[in-house]
Amino acid sequence: MAIFDARAAVMIPPRKVKFLIRRYNPEEGRSWWQEYEVETYRGMTVLDALLKIKEEIDHTLVLRYSCRMAVCGSCGMIINGTPRLACQTQVAEVASEARPVVKVEPMYNFKVIRDLVVDFTEFFEKHRRVKPYLIRRDVEERENPKYEYRLLPEEYESFYQYSLCIACGLCVSACPVFASDRRFLGPQALAQAYRFIIDPRDEGWAERLEIVDSEDGVFGCHLAASCSAVCPKEVDPGAAIQRLRSLLLRYRLGLWKKKISGPVGPLEKKAERKPLPPEAETLPGVSLEELEESEVEIPVDELIAG
Amino acid sequence: MAGRQGRSARLLDLRPGWKAFVNPWLLRIANNPERLAFIMHRVTGVIASLFLFLHIISTNVPAREGWEAWREEVMNLQGLTLTSILFYIAMGAILFHGLNGTRLILAEALALGIGRPEKPKPPYIAPLLRGFQRTLLYATFVLWIILWALLGYVMFFT
Ligand code: SF4
Ligand code: FES
Repeated sequence: MAIFDARAAVMIPPRKVKFLIRRYNPEEGRSWWQEYEVETYRGMTVLDALLKIKEEIDHTLVLRYSCRMAVCGSCGMIINGTPRLACQTQVAEVASEARPVVKVEPMYNFKVIRDLVVDFTEFFEKHRRVKPYLIRRDVEERENPKYEYRLLPEEYESFYQYSLCIACGLCVSACPVFASDRRFLGPQALAQAYRFIIDPRDEGWAERLEIVDSEDGVFGCHLAASCSAVCPKEVDPGAAIQRLRSLLLRYRLGLWKKKISGPVGPLEKKAERKPLPPEAETLPGVSLEELEESEVEIPVDELIAG
Repeated sequence: MAGRQGRSARLLDLRPGWKAFVNPWLLRIANNPERLAFIMHRVTGVIASLFLFLHIISTNVPAREGWEAWREEVMNLQGLTLTSILFYIAMGAILFHGLNGTRLILAEALALGIGRPEKPKPPYIAPLLRGFQRTLLYATFVLWIILWALLGYVMFFT
């Protein structure tokens, strides 16, 4: 995610910033631009500013948010023409002394419910369609697992990046293919399909390959790479789709075989707890044995009174 | 939308609005020349297919009306500046479409030049945007401009 600018966190935004917000009222079917002026402070995010507007100026402004720290993926918006998370965007990053204006719109490629809130039904439906979970054939083993499945570090690294997705929808709102083809699965769902297809613990890869093998699936992508450029978690859905497509082509030519790992099985040698070496001490004069035996006392009452 | 009801409302809601169609032009995304290449690939693709269509029609003239008619038509058309300018534009479009298409085939079908998955670390630029395909993209732009300018020189000044 190239647009995150860490320096902006210590920059001071213009003292007064004009917020132009695209609003929509479904009861009246009316949408309009509304202007608010917000007094800023250092470290203010766009989400902070929107909440300040909601609390102090206009209670009717509707937006969706939850974690305020780029974890939940609720607050995707188009800020000054770029799809970003409102909570991850500093006001100082998007407004300058020369142009103290911030334009906020609901995400493109989604149906708007009200003001800045968009409808994720279609998005989650597509996510669900690629079966984003591990599928195992052996039901008995799955229900009563004895051992964990083997996963080598390099296998883990091959899909770790794609598993960071927080389903914020920014990639879908930036996708120019999705803009003209609503049936396209979209970067998020396709990246998740790839993440599970190459997971060696998964056995549902063939079903998923059938699902993505269509015009609306992996062949809909035309590598505009906007998804990778806007993703706030550096998931790189664009690269995942290209890998998935080439994997699918190789699979159809019979050149690709899925590696499947099973339960690790019992360890060959039973691990034992080693006794502490006699010289193991934290500080000179402090013996670990004594520490282990002594009870820990926390002066709760004193802490509360103090 | 309020006001619309029933099946047609649902159909209309599923269709992206006019704004969504021009979405590629409206968004501003940093570090993303691939998007520009995507738009140009679309536009040049349309121009190239139009050219192909006209080309097939015009080469079909001898079969329908004999060589004499064809020669006359070509002679008439070739004298016009407008024809050569349109031809020049069509050639430029085909050139870009071909050069960019090579990069796309490498990246899309063979997954070449798209970086490798990694643990994200600052400054958080996706591997795809740092991969070799980006170099190829710049090379495409440069080569395209050089070749197109050369063609223009040959067509108009020699
Ligand atoms: S891939 Fe990135 S931009 Fe797309 S939904 Fe997941 S976290 Fe958001
Ligand atoms: S509020 Fe959770 S991602 Fe912004």
